Amino acid sequence: MPVIDVKHLTKTYKTYKRGAGMGQTFKSFFQREEVMVHAVNDISFAIEQGEICGILGPNGAGKSTAIKMLCGALYPTSGEIQVLGYSPARDRKRYVGKIGAVFGQKSQLIWDIPPIDSFNMNRAIYGIATPDFKSRLEELTELLDIAHVIEKPTRVLSLGERMKCEFVMAMLHQPDILFLDEPTIGLDVIAKVKIREFVHQMNKKQNMTCILTTHDLEDVEELAHRVIVINHGEKVFDDSLQRLKLFLGEKKRVSFTFSESVQGTVFDNAYTKVIDRPSDFQITLEVDTAYISISDFLEDISRKHRFSDISVKELPIQQVVMNIYENAGGY
Amino acid sequence: MNSLKHNWLICRTVAGVTYKEWSAYRTHSMVSVIVGPVYFMVQYFIWTAVYGGHSSLGGMALPEMIRYFGATALIGYLIMDFADWNLSMLVRTGKFLTFHLRPIHHRSFALFQKLGHRSLGFLFEFLPCLLIFIFIFGVDMRPASLPWTFLSVLLAFLMNFYVNYMIGLTSFWLVQSSGIRSAFMLVSGIFSGALIPLDFFPHSLQVIQFFLPFQYMAYLPAMVFTGHYSLGGLELSIQQAVGIQAIAVLITFGLNELVRRQAMKQFTAVGA
Amino acid sequence: MKRYLDVYKQCMYSAAQSAVAYRMNFIVSSLITLVGNILFPLVTLLIYRAGTSFPGWSLYEVLLIQSVFTMSSGLSSVIFGGVLWTTMSHVREGSFEVILLKPLNPLFYIVATTFSTDSIGLLLGGISLFIFSAAHAGAISALYWLQFAGLFIAGTAVLAGLSLMMAAMSFKWVGNSRISELADSVLHIGKYPLPIFPKAVQAVASMIIPVGMIGFFPASALLGRAQASDFAAILPCFLFLAAGVWIYRHMIRLYEGVGG
Repeated sequence: MPVIDVKHLTKTYKTYKRGAGMGQTFKSFFQREEVMVHAVNDISFAIEQGEICGILGPNGAGKSTAIKMLCGALYPTSGEIQVLGYSPARDRKRYVGKIGAVFGQKSQLIWDIPPIDSFNMNRAIYGIATPDFKSRLEELTELLDIAHVIEKPTRVLSLGERMKCEFVMAMLHQPDILFLDEPTIGLDVIAKVKIREFVHQMNKKQNMTCILTTHDLEDVEELAHRVIVINHGEKVFDDSLQRLKLFLGEKKRVSFTFSESVQGTVFDNAYTKVIDRPSDFQITLEVDTAYISISDFLEDISRKHRFSDISVKELPIQQVVMNIYENAGGY
Repeated sequence: MNSLKHNWLICRTVAGVTYKEWSAYRTHSMVSVIVGPVYFMVQYFIWTAVYGGHSSLGGMALPEMIRYFGATALIGYLIMDFADWNLSMLVRTGKFLTFHLRPIHHRSFALFQKLGHRSLGFLFEFLPCLLIFIFIFGVDMRPASLPWTFLSVLLAFLMNFYVNYMIGLTSFWLVQSSGIRSAFMLVSGIFSGALIPLDFFPHSLQVIQFFLPFQYMAYLPAMVFTGHYSLGGLELSIQQAVGIQAIAVLITFGLNELVRRQAMKQFTAVGA
Repeated sequence: MKRYLDVYKQCMYSAAQSAVAYRMNFIVSSLITLVGNILFPLVTLLIYRAGTSFPGWSLYEVLLIQSVFTMSSGLSSVIFGGVLWTTMSHVREGSFEVILLKPLNPLFYIVATTFSTDSIGLLLGGISLFIFSAAHAGAISALYWLQFAGLFIAGTAVLAGLSLMMAAMSFKWVGNSRISELADSVLHIGKYPLPIFPKAVQAVASMIIPVGMIGFFPASALLGRAQASDFAAILPCFLFLAAGVWIYRHMIRLYEGVGG
């Protein structure tokens, strides 16, 4: 029996067109044109306990609407959601006590006072017994290495420290499912690694299920067992991380700034493809790491050219979605 | 001549853009259409009760008093702005720099913005409320002299702008200028005359008003509207009153320019 | 129930902590709220100073109405004052689900987390003005005090209902920071002796939007001027609060997209 069972989930919004300019201003004062938006369109999936599932998609694809419905904050227009045996929106008050959520851009900490007071607030809200609260807090702060910051006012903490505190907020009541919405947005590499490590540990130790929306492919690669890709409100991919990598062909984007002009040099070959050549000194290549490791590739390039700057990035999410569409026949 | 034309073009563009920008919030002005008449109604009944047997209070008869309150409410829609808040936000967020890099004074830009913003206010606040006052409350809203009232309101428009802008300028020195702004708004609320005509204040407070900016923003234009002006025992003709108002605006402009120059020095020195 | 009390206590504690963190700001904003809200007695003062009056009401009697009004506003904005602004910013930023994620009644949660220490100054100011003007009213019997207490609570319920209605409005009127002006304007009627208004306004102010209960009726009771029929106005007050609660909850349901 899956913990999360979603069938034919659909969410439709009504919005109004707004005009500018004198005439339109006056007209729309009295009459507005309705526009229907299908934020989520007939999505079905099931998630087993202990799975970490990444939901990927470009901005505005319907990810957040979907996660809001899973959290019980929004009623579906049609379709059915069962999580832990609850219907999230209908049984909201009982249901949300069993889940935790971290929204990368919506803080739950109180800005002007130390996190410890916010934690205490959650203790009261979730009705956590004081001894449980204490031991749990100790465990979490130790895992995240933030024992020294929780007594400082939230506003003086770094973004990474604050994010870790958000995780403590979400985990104090031992949720069965953790929802993460862009949890690493804006964080530096070290904080990202620490947070991913933490999610892994919680998943292993407590068999906690985790739903993760992001547009950072790395989050998914490091954490998820399984990936669902949503675009224009529809599910376009739902399979293991391995299968997704198959589609992507394990490609990376490498950008160089060369010390001398590389005008006329040919970079295309069996495993590299030129994406962009903004000047004679700059180039962005897509490297298929299934054929050549990044270190071999770099060695090869540096033998031929001198470069002053380099960056290695994951494929942007739009590219992933396009690849999936291109390979749709095989799926 | 060419520069005048150029400035006029900028003015029209900035005002037009501001008008469009705020059109999105035009329903907000519907609040005024309810709030204005409700306040006016309360004033109407307060003063009807207070006049009781008196034929004249503070030198005004009841119908005149009602006209006075109608005028202060309407003038408010024509001249209000938040130049102070705007400027302090630009300074606090560091966006002021983007104006420093453009070939235009931010003060002119803000004044043009206010023109656009108030055109919207004219359509969606002033006109509806004027019609409500005339047709629902049956108040005679004809000014004693249209040209002089127009001129006086125009001067009040500038006065309010230069004063507010000056308060906004303080944010180049102060991190938190919101305290000053709220305090100023309070004092201005009392002494502008929108709550009660300044005639009702003790004599000394009335005399001080000639040297403070507040009466020039509401009391004076509203009195010009009613056709006779008196304050601190001084009876002035409409022409004299508007003359004094013009002088006050000039002085305020001078002060504003002085503070602005200091502020620019501060800005380029500290990069605040 | 115990959990709800625990949460409220924790929220009051946090609010106090925040106020302490910005002491200066807290003091200044309390003072400004206070001064801004006791301006209207100044108008009354100036009117009486000019040798005229509200017919049938002495200066201290009118000040008593206005002090009761101020006390009631203070109390209500300490408890409910933050609801409008918090709702407004959550709706504008699309973060209202943070509230829906708590295993609590969302309305309670929002009221609890917006405990406004800033308005304590206003409450204290109202109390001072009240003591001052009540001292001029002569001896007040225990019965009158009792009547006053009942009517005062009803008046505070009206203010609470009004706050909730305004907050509910901000779900629909997204980002309109002027919503509170609507409430302020209607409240203006409650600051003066009700009999100066025409019968129709009096009826609205005691039966439909019972703003008369905020200052006028409780003060009349203290002065021994209350009539039996005045007490009938208590019922609409609590109906008004109930309507506010209902509308707010309805808006939350709309936000969740029930049937939408």
